[in-house]
Amino acid sequence: MTTVDLAQTQAWLADFAAAIHENAALLTDLDRQIGDADHGSNMDRGLTAVAALNADDFADTAAYLKKVGMTLVSTVGGASGPLYGTFFLRFAGALPAAADAAGLGAALRAGVEGVAARGRAEEGDKTMLDALAPALRAYDEAVGEGVRPALEAAAAAAATGRDATVPLVARKGRASYLGERSAGHQDPGATSATLLLESAARNLG
Amino acid sequence: MIGIVVVSHSASLAEAAVSLALEVAPPSSRPIVLAAGGVDGGLGTDAAAIAAALGEADSGDGVLVLVDLGSAVLSAEMACEFIDPDAAARVRISPAPLVEGLVAATVAAAIGGDLATCDAEARRGCEAKGEHLGAGSAEVDAGQAPSSGARVLELRIDLPHGLHARPAAAIASALAPFDAQVTLQNVTRGGDSTEADSPMGILALGVRQGDVVEATVDGPDADAAAAALQTLADAGFGES
Repeated sequence: MTTVDLAQTQAWLADFAAAIHENAALLTDLDRQIGDADHGSNMDRGLTAVAALNADDFADTAAYLKKVGMTLVSTVGGASGPLYGTFFLRFAGALPAAADAAGLGAALRAGVEGVAARGRAEEGDKTMLDALAPALRAYDEAVGEGVRPALEAAAAAAATGRDATVPLVARKGRASYLGERSAGHQDPGATSATLLLESAARNLG
Repeated sequence: MIGIVVVSHSASLAEAAVSLALEVAPPSSRPIVLAAGGVDGGLGTDAAAIAAALGEADSGDGVLVLVDLGSAVLSAEMACEFIDPDAAARVRISPAPLVEGLVAATVAAAIGGDLATCDAEARRGCEAKGEHLGAGSAEVDAGQAPSSGARVLELRIDLPHGLHARPAAAIASALAPFDAQVTLQNVTRGGDSTEADSPMGILALGVRQGDVVEATVDGPDADAAAAALQTLADAGFGES
């Protein structure tokens, strides 16, 4: 049975940091259309700090992921800081030692539920939850196939959810100030959340 | 006395808001603790920094948190999860607009208001502006009809800037020791009456120089409270 270890987890975060860096201009541009044009630069700053953490300094995967969460909280600056910070803190809190597919699913569920609670958001509000919530459902459906196939299903569902944010009218976050004018633009939070799951599917399991 | 924390994306915005609040607040005010700005001097909020500010501000009487917008709200809520649950139970995050709420809360805290009172005063922080611009008062103090023994004072306000935040705080502070219900009404301009224990309510009367305010003083200490109010008015509400 495949389990998730500290080395894989650090590889996941390093890959996510690289994906955010490569897509920083895109994320900021999406945010410029409906928000305050800082999502790419904020996330890039936060993930650069995360990538600088040394996994060898941590006793286990959960301790490392807690530090990831706290680093994002203190370095991102915008709403993504507490939202992604909550994701990783709750994820870490629910992650069993030597997590198998079911254990990783429990951590993913805790993280996604944490994001929903922190932002008081639900699916359809045009937020990162529009990628995360369908990803969690797809993961749970495929959990019997193991970590990697379940994460691949989750990443595909996240991408579909991300694309489906285009016609939505934002009900949370800065974009909600635009009302109807937020329709027609892809949500930057759902876009970065999809990168998170795509990185996970490349590195875990 | 309660503590006050200001959470803003911008350190300079927070510092300026605090300067404004301390300008009108009584000198007994406690320091206001800031958690503002991002890691590299840019814009941003940091839940860990807010948690530290909450610890610094709390003397055991609780902390009112004034926030600007967006991530300031999320980070402040998250900070409450980082601190001891007993301390977190003494924290309230105010929905008031930052500047108006901070001024109102600072004044209310300095005259000894508890956490609930300061929270309520901060929420009323926009009333004076709303009254002035004709938006109406969000809340009307119904109060009780005064008893036949109530004292009525007519005070002509000679302050150049009317009853602004400092004299409003002075009135509330001067009447605080007495067991008395004091209701104020601007008889020159009309409008709703207010309880005198609320500086924000007094501001909402919109009293300008030359206006006459009618004070109805009732309760066991009515005589002493009326005398204290008259003494304060004779002294120019501490402004002269």
